[in-house]
Amino acid sequence: METFLDYLKVFAVGGGLCAVGQLLINKTGMSSARILVLFMLLGLVTELVGAFSYIKGFASSGVTVPITGFGSNLAKGAMQGAKEGGVLGAVGGGLKAAAPGISAVILFGFLFALIFRSKSKKI
Amino acid sequence: MLDKSDYREYVAKNAPRSPMLRSLVAAFVVGGLICCIGEGIKDAVSAIFPSMTEEDAGAWTTIILIFIGSFLTAIGVYDKIGRFAGGGSMIPITGFANSVVSPALEYNREGVFFGICAKMFVIAGPIIVFGVVAGILAGTVGLFV
Amino acid sequence: MKLGRQSFVSDRPVYLCSSYTIVGPKEGDGNFGELFDTVLKDDLWGERSYEKAESKMHREAIRGGICLAGRRLDEIDLMLAGDLLNELSASGLAMRYFKVPFAGLYNACSTFSEGILLGTALIDGGAANTVTCSTSSHFASAERQYRYPLELGNQRTPTSQWTVTGAGCSVLSSIRPTAEEDAVNRADFSEKMKSMRENCLECAKNEDSERKNGKGDEDAFPSTGMRWAERIKRKILKKLRPDSVADPVCDPNYKRSRVVRISGGTFGKVTDFGINDESNMGGAMAPAAADTLLAHLADTGRSVGDYDAIFTGDLGRFGSEAFEYIMKREGVTFPGNHLDCGALFYKPEQETFQGGSGAGCVNTVFNSYIVKRLESGEWKRVLVLATGALLNKDTPLQKETIPGVSHAFVAESEPL
Repeated sequence: METFLDYLKVFAVGGGLCAVGQLLINKTGMSSARILVLFMLLGLVTELVGAFSYIKGFASSGVTVPITGFGSNLAKGAMQGAKEGGVLGAVGGGLKAAAPGISAVILFGFLFALIFRSKSKKI
Repeated sequence: MLDKSDYREYVAKNAPRSPMLRSLVAAFVVGGLICCIGEGIKDAVSAIFPSMTEEDAGAWTTIILIFIGSFLTAIGVYDKIGRFAGGGSMIPITGFANSVVSPALEYNREGVFFGICAKMFVIAGPIIVFGVVAGILAGTVGLFV
Repeated sequence: MKLGRQSFVSDRPVYLCSSYTIVGPKEGDGNFGELFDTVLKDDLWGERSYEKAESKMHREAIRGGICLAGRRLDEIDLMLAGDLLNELSASGLAMRYFKVPFAGLYNACSTFSEGILLGTALIDGGAANTVTCSTSSHFASAERQYRYPLELGNQRTPTSQWTVTGAGCSVLSSIRPTAEEDAVNRADFSEKMKSMRENCLECAKNEDSERKNGKGDEDAFPSTGMRWAERIKRKILKKLRPDSVADPVCDPNYKRSRVVRISGGTFGKVTDFGINDESNMGGAMAPAAADTLLAHLADTGRSVGDYDAIFTGDLGRFGSEAFEYIMKREGVTFPGNHLDCGALFYKPEQETFQGGSGAGCVNTVFNSYIVKRLESGEWKRVLVLATGALLNKDTPLQKETIPGVSHAFVAESEPL
């Protein structure tokens, strides 16, 4: 029962974030890159003011799977780097924390682009 | 001829719009489902490797989700999900993977060098640039806090 | 002869000798599906990229038109061709296969009517006897050039249109076609196409005896670096899925009872009403179409009722509404004879929102549907107003609005 409730929270918060994004698309006609940047910055700022960990405690993957999680990772890494490694840590910490995701995306993108081709669409 | 601002007003008023309720519900459901899949992966990873910290489990979840997103893009399924769900499949990390892999696939006919590698971040470039710059700003804030 | 400010009528008769269309699979499922000459099973057509496939469609459409007209290549004085790709690459690449003078045209989606008007004027003025007018567009290549990668999962807006995968060719001539010639040309179509292809290979061999790729594989001969893997792939395709690389065909039983004549037309001005939404092309082009139609009516002294049908190019459903709205404000109402090629192109369940667009849209509709109706005598006089939006991917980013242009030509039919 408890797990079900957890998943329900994840579903509601994650879905809610996506619905807000869809609302922005419908109202302003923003392109996908703009929406993604906006949500990433949202995650980054909430992490910076310290609110992200509370939301994460409540919704878990509901906020870390959306791109907001990527932004929060960047901010968390940068803050931690600043604490441990001074200026160099502050500059490099963000990217270091986000490195697994970016590396994975580049690797899979490269490999799949070698194997697959984009297909023409009928719808 | 008709006044130009009159015409612009006419177009703004009469141009067809997206069906609001249907697209919001689709985005909500698909977005929520993707997040639940992410949570499921995280739980599974934590169950298989109990010694793993939560952060590492989160990183593995991200990587697995990116793999799923990339693979669905490569076999031509993700854009069909996107047509239906819009923001629901765009905002999760799988959507980020989609926005990197889709130009790489599109431009592979121009070769590995100037096709795949050069065009990979045509769409997702702003996310990386904004992310890195904002991350450095956050680090600078961290230096003084 | 010039007429009024923007129009002209041809003094010499200019006949539409033949018309030929090739479209992709989605277009074959659309409303005009049975009317096209060739419907491809696969819109890659055995090629390595969609750009190459578009170029091949363009080339084969021109060949089809010439063969149906019963001409040889040396009887064609000029080829007027255009497409939507950067620097007209689809038509440019296709032209390597013909040793015929080529004039490239670009007016976005209104390129076809621009070509017809120029061809008519050239024949009328005596500068040429026979010209071909062809355009092409391909959904996948246009999508990559103007919008996003195919696999990107974003939603299309309800004002968006679907670029038609198709190429068509009209052969205009001052020499009147006859029914007997028609029957012979249709019966010999596939043989003529084959001999034209072999001719082309022969030409290439003579020019460049060192080139090895030219052996029996015409698709391969001009491009460099045709890798062995590609050739094997094509051979496998030919064995396993022969319909995906099938040759163009024509209906041998089609008979026309009337012949189409291009009697003149109106060149349009660029009109910009300040629409800046690049996903709403119909709204941006409607004022241009209205402007050209008003100029046409003023120059010729005709009214909209003098035409059996007035076709706009690819305004789409909303664009057509906007067009009729502007015309109504100008005091012109259509007696139900305004049709839009783009809005009619696809069936509603094909989810194309506003309908078709692209340089191939008005071309394939004219060369199939409109020409067949004119040739059967159902219609006597038709006005075709192809419309084009003159933008590229960068102009909206530089905060430019979208200028539109529209050219109109009049097609009339007379007994064969």
